[in-house]
Amino acid sequence: MNSKSLSLAELAALVRDLNASGTSVVAPVPTRSLCGADYRPITELNQATLNGALPRRSLKELFLPASEVLLRYRLKKNDVELLPVPTTFTPQVILGARPCDAAGVAVLDRVMGWDYRDELWFGRRAATTIVSLACPGFDGVCFCHAVGLNPDASLGSDVLLVPRGADAYWAMPVTDKGEALLARGTFADLVEPAEVTAFRKAAEEKVAKNLASLPSGFHTFMAQSFDHPEFKAIASRCHGCGACAAVCPTCHCFDIVDEPEGMEGGARRRNWDFCATCKFTVHASGHNPRATQNERFRQRVMHKFSIYPQRFDAVLCTGCGRCVRACPAGMDLPEVLGHLYAAQAAGGVS
Amino acid sequence: MNIYQPHLMRIDEVVAETSDTQTFKLSFKDPQVAQQFKFLAGQFGEYSVFGEGECTFCIASSPTREGYIECSFKAAGKVTQSLKRLSVGDTIGFRGPYGNNFPLEQMNGHSVVFVAGGIGLAPVRSVIWNVLDLRDQFKNVTIIYGARSVGDLVYKRELAAWAVRHDVKLWTTVDPGGQTADWKGEVGFVPAIVEKAAPVATDAYAVVCGPPVMIKFTLPVLAKLGFAEERIYTTLENRMKCGLGKCGRCNIGPVYVCKDGPVFSAAQIKALPPEY
Repeated sequence: MNSKSLSLAELAALVRDLNASGTSVVAPVPTRSLCGADYRPITELNQATLNGALPRRSLKELFLPASEVLLRYRLKKNDVELLPVPTTFTPQVILGARPCDAAGVAVLDRVMGWDYRDELWFGRRAATTIVSLACPGFDGVCFCHAVGLNPDASLGSDVLLVPRGADAYWAMPVTDKGEALLARGTFADLVEPAEVTAFRKAAEEKVAKNLASLPSGFHTFMAQSFDHPEFKAIASRCHGCGACAAVCPTCHCFDIVDEPEGMEGGARRRNWDFCATCKFTVHASGHNPRATQNERFRQRVMHKFSIYPQRFDAVLCTGCGRCVRACPAGMDLPEVLGHLYAAQAAGGVS
Repeated sequence: MNIYQPHLMRIDEVVAETSDTQTFKLSFKDPQVAQQFKFLAGQFGEYSVFGEGECTFCIASSPTREGYIECSFKAAGKVTQSLKRLSVGDTIGFRGPYGNNFPLEQMNGHSVVFVAGGIGLAPVRSVIWNVLDLRDQFKNVTIIYGARSVGDLVYKRELAAWAVRHDVKLWTTVDPGGQTADWKGEVGFVPAIVEKAAPVATDAYAVVCGPPVMIKFTLPVLAKLGFAEERIYTTLENRMKCGLGKCGRCNIGPVYVCKDGPVFSAAQIKALPPEY
């Protein structure tokens, strides 16, 4: 399929058409404080703020909800009845996803499909079409370029939109799902216009200034730098609150707990959990393999830039910068990476 | 199939091992699952009390004993304390088997030395019975087992059975001060008893499990006796939730205990960062 031209009016009609046919549409919607946006369902395009700021939270929760029922149980005398939850979901289109958020979902496909296929994750993936909107480069802590992405990356997207002024878009189908979505309308073909190319180039140049790309061999350097003093020096600021992981498009650690619903049954849920918190790895005996905050902070950085790349050939970070914006202690991941790059350049493991 | 959905199991037998440790004998309620279920010594599962949650322990019975599994647990946290309140006929959940296994195929035709401390005998017991049920395929079998006190020794009926077998050399020990007046075993920490028993390392494998401090001081003794690091195996325990490589909790550096372990050789463990 050729790339297309979409006017705001055509996009608005597409939103109405999708809703009318039972497909829910999710888009960045301004928060009540008007400070930022959240990905929320919309029925009309004018409820969304497509060209606004990066939403406060990532797309992750649309596929891995903060609290999700895995199954329900009913208690009977000496017996238990298990009530499975559905693993098929209502179709949804995410409109105006930021490329760093769409990429996060694609990166997580790897762990969610690792030998044991997580049907709750993939059920939602199958039901969802992601229409990303190329980003102009949001602020000084965006570092998608450093982790191998770009403000117009199409990883994880089914369609990539690039703005053409304030009221039109250039639409590039990326997957079959994306083509099927664009086939719902009669949109005019449009070869990538010069203004779109200029927008993409300007955004990339803007973001590339924020942090240099991961140096070659960085994953190996990290694996060998377990005791690097840089971790201790930086980690002493970490409160262990987990805010970074909550807003992160790729942090996916979870807990599994039973929550009674009345006297005779309840739900087994998975809830987001955070490796930076002090009880995350503590054993029943009281022994804690990661006993100090230094170790817990190091785990988060190692998981993203060494462990995940070794296991899944992808960096577990899309450079969205949310962890920097959310941290109450001013922890700055690009800054940490910058220090480690410098340490690598200065001669490796100390 | 939802990978988090457990199978239901019936508690067929409860054995009180110590004041706070119990063994459950369990059978699958679904006959089809019961028929298809297979596991290998060293693998683990997620056991659940509905309303309380899941917890992780090894399968303590041998794969050579079909039709049931056994697990042994110490009432320590929320779920294990709830498990302790259950009795014969009650239903629990089980997901598994997960993880890798002890290398029985490699060990076949060789001598095996088992070293265990406290409830660390549970995973070792699975291998012991696996070896003893195929006794003619192995050379010498030595079992060295210790606990803090006589009251803390688990599987006492089986210790008695192993003690009278001529094809098993059993050493039991309790920590100094943990003995009773009629205690006939050794008194001393496990590493010291391993040194005293001095099992021959030639053509032998060692399987070690117990408290971290026991493992720490036993490994140098085994090295001194001539056991290569590649021939010493242990099973690691890290806190887990999913058992499936998803929940991000059990990793030690790049190694996921749930998927790459829980069984590791001493050589493999030496290469890991010290987060276990």
